[in-house]
Amino acid sequence: MIRIEGVTYSYGDGINALDGVDLEVKDSELLAIVGENGAGKTTLVKHLNGLLKPQRGRVIVEGVDTKETTVATLAKKVGLVFQNPDHMLFAETVEKELSFALTNFGLPPEEIAKRVEWALIEFKLSNYRDRSPFTLSGGEKKRVSLASVLCYDPQIIVLDEPTTGQDSLQKTRLASTLANLNRQGKTVIVVTHDIEFVADFIPRVVVMSRGKIIADGPTEEILIRKDVMEASSILPPQLAELSWKMGLNSPSINTDMIVEEIRQMLRGEQK
Amino acid sequence: MKVFKAFEYRRGSTILHRIDPRSKLVYLILFTSLTVYFTKPLALLIIFLSFLPMVHVGKISTRWSQSLRGSLFFIVFIFVFNFVPTAYYSGNLFDAAISAIAMSLRFLNLISVFSIFFLTTSPEDLTQSMVQLKIPYDYALTFNMAMRFVPTLSREAQYIMDAQRSRGLEMERGNFVSRIRNYIPVLIPLIISSFRRAELVADAMESRAFGASKKRTSLYVLKMGRGDLLFVSAAIGSALVLFAVNLLL
Repeated sequence: MIRIEGVTYSYGDGINALDGVDLEVKDSELLAIVGENGAGKTTLVKHLNGLLKPQRGRVIVEGVDTKETTVATLAKKVGLVFQNPDHMLFAETVEKELSFALTNFGLPPEEIAKRVEWALIEFKLSNYRDRSPFTLSGGEKKRVSLASVLCYDPQIIVLDEPTTGQDSLQKTRLASTLANLNRQGKTVIVVTHDIEFVADFIPRVVVMSRGKIIADGPTEEILIRKDVMEASSILPPQLAELSWKMGLNSPSINTDMIVEEIRQMLRGEQK
Repeated sequence: MKVFKAFEYRRGSTILHRIDPRSKLVYLILFTSLTVYFTKPLALLIIFLSFLPMVHVGKISTRWSQSLRGSLFFIVFIFVFNFVPTAYYSGNLFDAAISAIAMSLRFLNLISVFSIFFLTTSPEDLTQSMVQLKIPYDYALTFNMAMRFVPTLSREAQYIMDAQRSRGLEMERGNFVSRIRNYIPVLIPLIISSFRRAELVADAMESRAFGASKKRTSLYVLKMGRGDLLFVSAAIGSALVLFAVNLLL
């Protein structure tokens, strides 16, 4: 359970990167945070593991105020994977890279070996075990960075732009990994620009604009709201756009529902 | 990392910002020389005080004081490492303290004067003035780019530290040796990305035909005005006064 209450944060340039943000995330939820560049998405998720502490308001993670604990303690509960894998990778081999966090948290060697093994298989990295992470492709690096956090099994998983540079196969794989983790009771938060990914796989969406949350609710209800999409400069899902352009009575982001709606419309015109 | 920020140019319109970089260079060289030449703490303190009006006129007091706060660690370091050995070998605590204070003040002055210079001089103007001082363009550009990438590098270091701390890295943990080792997960990505960026910049420059023509012309040419004459004379004048004061002290 995460509770964010009236959080305001400024980097000291006179602009509030976060401006009174309230958000509640229940256990084992799967949600996306979307919004224009500079909306405050990354600033918000940096509050979840205490990298940033709120200047006003408070952030409670699993009953603990982030102001009263350290990043290293919070990081065990909240696994935060950043956008750019190049900011993370440093070890000689993929295997060592994966065991970095596990070693930091002081896990016993057998446990480390077991978890590294799991991550190598889950993210299809077994062949790269002894390769240097720097010789991998962009998409592979991204997977190593995801694996290096997910391997220590945090209760809350936060991914900043996990789909950039991934082809559609990898995206689907990522979606199923996330769904799997979510089914096991993990809370998963995805920060993204990839609105189609959200429309296809994420049930709840939080829309941010200029440091504020401007909409929050079930994905299929939020992403068809033209006002919200425009206010946050998000390119709407193609199906929502299609619904608007065709003037459908009940716009949707679900292919089957749209098809049904169009069928009915055509039938009506034939009569 | 705040130390770097203190040298980052921000646009401004004060007199100090508008003065030709070459005039400010004269000021920089004069006051750097005085700082290095002076040995009496009082004389060095007077130099330091002479920076205050400059900072005020340039409206850079917040960033300048940031630079001082950021360098506090080094100042303490310099003080301790000058005081302890001198006191140990000479046995005279007072003399040791005086020379350690002088050393610390000297460092403080150098930070201040360079901070004043870089905070009020745009990198473009600086390059242009170097070119007009007949420094080959390639060198001027290299210097400019080195300066230009300092804030980028410090931002990048911050990102990397955030990422590694999220993976449970505690920079402050352990004894001296393990603390240094804690920096490895930060330094390696930082160095690698710097090399990669350097290659990208080189590619970008070449695709924009860098070095295609032997003779470069400039859109803007720097000109020394009456203000510059005044500024340079004032700088030389106050340097002479300080020199005399130092002799009298």
